[in-house]
Amino acid sequence: MTKPLLKIAGLEGGYGDIKILNGVNIEVPEKSVVTIVGPNGAGKSTIMKAIYGIARVTAGTITINRDGKEIDVLATKPHNLSKIGIGYVPQIENIFSAMTIDENLDVGFIPESGKPIGELKESMYQRYPDLVGRKKDRAGQLSGGQRQMLALARALMSSPKLLLLDEPSAGLAPALVDQLFDELVRINQSGVTILMVEQNARRALEISNYGYVLDMGKNRHEGAGKSLAVDPEIVGIYFGKRTTK
Amino acid sequence: MAEFVQLLFNGLVAGSIFGMAALGISLVYSVLHLVNFAAGDFLTLGAFTTFYLATSQHLPFVLAVILSMVIGVIVSLILEFILWRRIRRSGAGMLALFLVASGIAFILRQSIALTFGSDSRRFDLDQLTTYEFLGAQIARLQLIVLLCASIAITGIALFIKKSNIGKDMRAYADNASLAAVSGINVDRVIIATWTISGAYGALAGVFQGTVQGQFTNGMGLDLLLAILAAVVLGTIGDAYGALIGGFVLGVVMDLSTWDALAGGIPSTYKPVVGFAVLVIVLLFKPEGIFGVRARKI
Repeated sequence: MTKPLLKIAGLEGGYGDIKILNGVNIEVPEKSVVTIVGPNGAGKSTIMKAIYGIARVTAGTITINRDGKEIDVLATKPHNLSKIGIGYVPQIENIFSAMTIDENLDVGFIPESGKPIGELKESMYQRYPDLVGRKKDRAGQLSGGQRQMLALARALMSSPKLLLLDEPSAGLAPALVDQLFDELVRINQSGVTILMVEQNARRALEISNYGYVLDMGKNRHEGAGKSLAVDPEIVGIYFGKRTTK
Repeated sequence: MAEFVQLLFNGLVAGSIFGMAALGISLVYSVLHLVNFAAGDFLTLGAFTTFYLATSQHLPFVLAVILSMVIGVIVSLILEFILWRRIRRSGAGMLALFLVASGIAFILRQSIALTFGSDSRRFDLDQLTTYEFLGAQIARLQLIVLLCASIAITGIALFIKKSNIGKDMRAYADNASLAAVSGINVDRVIIATWTISGAYGALAGVFQGTVQGQFTNGMGLDLLLAILAAVVLGTIGDAYGALIGGFVLGVVMDLSTWDALAGGIPSTYKPVVGFAVLVIVLLFKPEGIFGVRARKI
């Protein structure tokens, strides 16, 4: 087996004195979609926040494999993570609502990607034609679905190898959730590896190559995405309440 | 008519200075959530260092002004690195930040008095040349100040709008947590913010000293309330709002002394009018003139 793109090993940490992660191990193979599910408070989002230095890490390692070289993610400053190929779409407030749509894309761009900004922006507008006519509008005026598209476009502007998504379907109408997951598949097919945390577990696992079930800040279960999505035990324990809500 | 033109012109000159100083306060607030009560004394510092360099050291005036702006930036950055950064990291609240800023204001003002003396100063500039325009007497120095301030204001507005660092500053002010995970170098944003605030504060101080003729180490403090009013009027945290708030306040304050307005008010009461305008605007629009658009910078 080839080396995973992202490797999280024995991760422990939390916020202040509150410990949320108690030894999490996750591997994300190149060009795959990996989903982390689990009940509220399991520490799913905390993993993403640990990568970005928002949550405190007390033990464990996170490394990204770039061209055979292991880069210590935790030792990389948050603003340099896009330079080592990581893009992130937070769950809430994931756009700059007081800025125009075009400016939102400018801010996501990093010259290190080697592609000219105009070309990248053009490809984003082709990908998300809804945004084209609204380039000069403030992002805060967009609808929920359009916001999420802009948030994805912003993250893709840095040409990431690995895209981290924190609850991408949160707050979206059901029809838009389908569109969103279709879009995630397209992004993945274009060669971007995806690691997401998702409350809509079944839907997310269906498009995932691999899934991890987290509980109390620890790995509880793992397996191929599709099989986890229909595993009766998992469905009953973890998603039963949530999916019927 | 002549009097109206005169007052309008005076108001625009005063407003451009308020606007420049207000811009720094608004930027610092939007990025660092800190109301910089020491901003007034940075105006004083700019005026005094320019006086020292130009009059005592006989440097060309423009060079003295540029060096004073550099000094304003250096002092701002030193305070950021030895003071503000640590205080922010300690999780200090608004009140603590307010007290520290007030303390800096006090130390700065007294240091200026200790270094340069507390006598009033006057730039060695031609104060007498005036032009007649629609019956009004326009002082050459005022005209130069208005022109330079307009260029400086347009320049900074474009910089914030178009440049990469300007966009980063707006992004950070808009959504600091997203900015921090979007490849934006937060330290660079903070340094840029203090740089603009320090440079424009010093420049506004030189302009104010020039327009006023004589100035003492209390000049900036006297202006601080009007500047803060301009900040609030233009919606605190909105840089463009601060610039416009400055102009509105400057013009209204000067026009209020117009004879045609029921004899006008004595000019010593101008600040009262400024605050009356502020109170009225806030009564109807508590978020300031531009609040509804919720623009951060």
